[in-house]
Amino acid sequence: MNPLALVGAHTRVGFLDLLRWPGYVVPTVVFPAMFFVLFDLPFARQSAEIANFTTLAFIVFAIAGVTLYQFGIGIASERGRPWERYLRTLPASAFVRFAARIITAVLFGILTAGVVALVSRALTPVDLSTAQWLRMLLYSLAGGVPFVLIGIAIGYWTSSRAAVPIATACNLLLAYAGGLWMPPSELPHFVQVISPYLPTRQFADLLRSAVGEGNAGPAWTGLILYAVIFASIAAVGYRRDERKRYA
Amino acid sequence: MERPILSFDNVAKSYGEVRALHALTFEVRRSEIVALLGPNGAGKTTALEIALGLRAAGSGKVSLFGESPRSVAIRRRLGATPQESGFPDMLRVEEILNFVREHYPQPAPMAETLERFGLTELAKRRAGTLSGGESRRLAVALAFAGDSEFVVLDEPTTGLDVESRRRLWEVVRSLGEDRSILFTTHYLEEAEALATRILVLDRGRLLFDGNVNALRTRVGGRRLSYVGADGPVALTTQDADAYVRALVGSGVAFSDLEIVRPSLEEAFLALTGGSQ
Repeated sequence: MNPLALVGAHTRVGFLDLLRWPGYVVPTVVFPAMFFVLFDLPFARQSAEIANFTTLAFIVFAIAGVTLYQFGIGIASERGRPWERYLRTLPASAFVRFAARIITAVLFGILTAGVVALVSRALTPVDLSTAQWLRMLLYSLAGGVPFVLIGIAIGYWTSSRAAVPIATACNLLLAYAGGLWMPPSELPHFVQVISPYLPTRQFADLLRSAVGEGNAGPAWTGLILYAVIFASIAAVGYRRDERKRYA
Repeated sequence: MERPILSFDNVAKSYGEVRALHALTFEVRRSEIVALLGPNGAGKTTALEIALGLRAAGSGKVSLFGESPRSVAIRRRLGATPQESGFPDMLRVEEILNFVREHYPQPAPMAETLERFGLTELAKRRAGTLSGGESRRLAVALAFAGDSEFVVLDEPTTGLDVESRRRLWEVVRSLGEDRSILFTTHYLEEAEALATRILVLDRGRLLFDGNVNALRTRVGGRRLSYVGADGPVALTTQDADAYVRALVGSGVAFSDLEIVRPSLEEAFLALTGGSQ
């Protein structure tokens, strides 16, 4: 009834429903860690410095991927379902439903990132203090938000079929150009030029600042801008869907 | 006069070229149980969606407790059924019920609701494993979970067997004693069993608004049959009493006299011109 308690209730229900699909949860949660092991381990093993850098990049990859891809597609396929329609008859505002979705997505992303972190700690010389891990966790809570909003925007502006390839393309391009798979300095020149403006790069910069490297100012600004822009695109998409479905 | 719980004032609605509702006017007042009865495509669902704030009226005025049904605050006084049984598969019955209860200021006690709708044994079951009838019962339970003043049920017993249908009617009737209920149905029997008032809707028009008896009388007359000197006679008359008096007075022999009120089915067919 108070909106925060309702956000809690909607988040709990969304999270429970999700967690009980092992066929969905296991591959989704394991995928980024598997990617890390397959493609990154040889480099990450070379030094603590490289291990730190790549672990952090894969944490961003994990969170950005899960939030944008899974939840974006989720919206596209769920928005016509009877349960969604029923939720609209309950005394909860659209704000409550969206806030719960964003929180669920970010928490799920962090779960996925946690697996990457555990694998990295077990198999690489990664060298981060507890305080640094915790600060990364904290920053990740914020850093995931723009990606959920991008996902929701995709979900509202595409059909459930189109959402899959579009979200995949966004995901892979953003990971590549954001310098998550190789150091930004090794990207082709033109990609280096745009890279700092991409949310994946900004999220990674944010986490770098969390472990004491560089200044997070521009990254915060960029991520907040992305959040605002995509929240607006999602809101317009939501209203458009509302008019189509419920007018 | 007391303000109605729900009022439709000349509400019309079109989907493109198709007119779903033509200037619909009706009210649901305190402690009434109102049936919205009509064949498929009559406009029942559209009317319900407008009442719930899921759809905007094309023209006319709708008010729920005197306000727009789109207001979140107003919806605290309203409970509704999910239209189909599309619950999140992995949630347990008690989790879904509890989730809905959390939206209301003074929800009905959990155990009581489970018991009432025969869900106690199913409380720990995942929604995805419920049978059609079980999820229907859960759907109706959700509408009452908040103990709200106004409850809207969309075809509450569709897919239930006769036995569970009757049991559910009893529960709804007892819960209707201290609240208002609006429900859609295409079962005449259901409207007759539950409703204090019946609205007959056909092709977007309201054909009738009154109680069951009035609906029967509206069709009027009695069906009368007997076996006379020249064989069986069957006819419909506006005044069965006068006919029988005349028959007896005429002194002709007859047997097996039977006078029947038209069934609700016949009343309905007469009203809708047989479109069901």
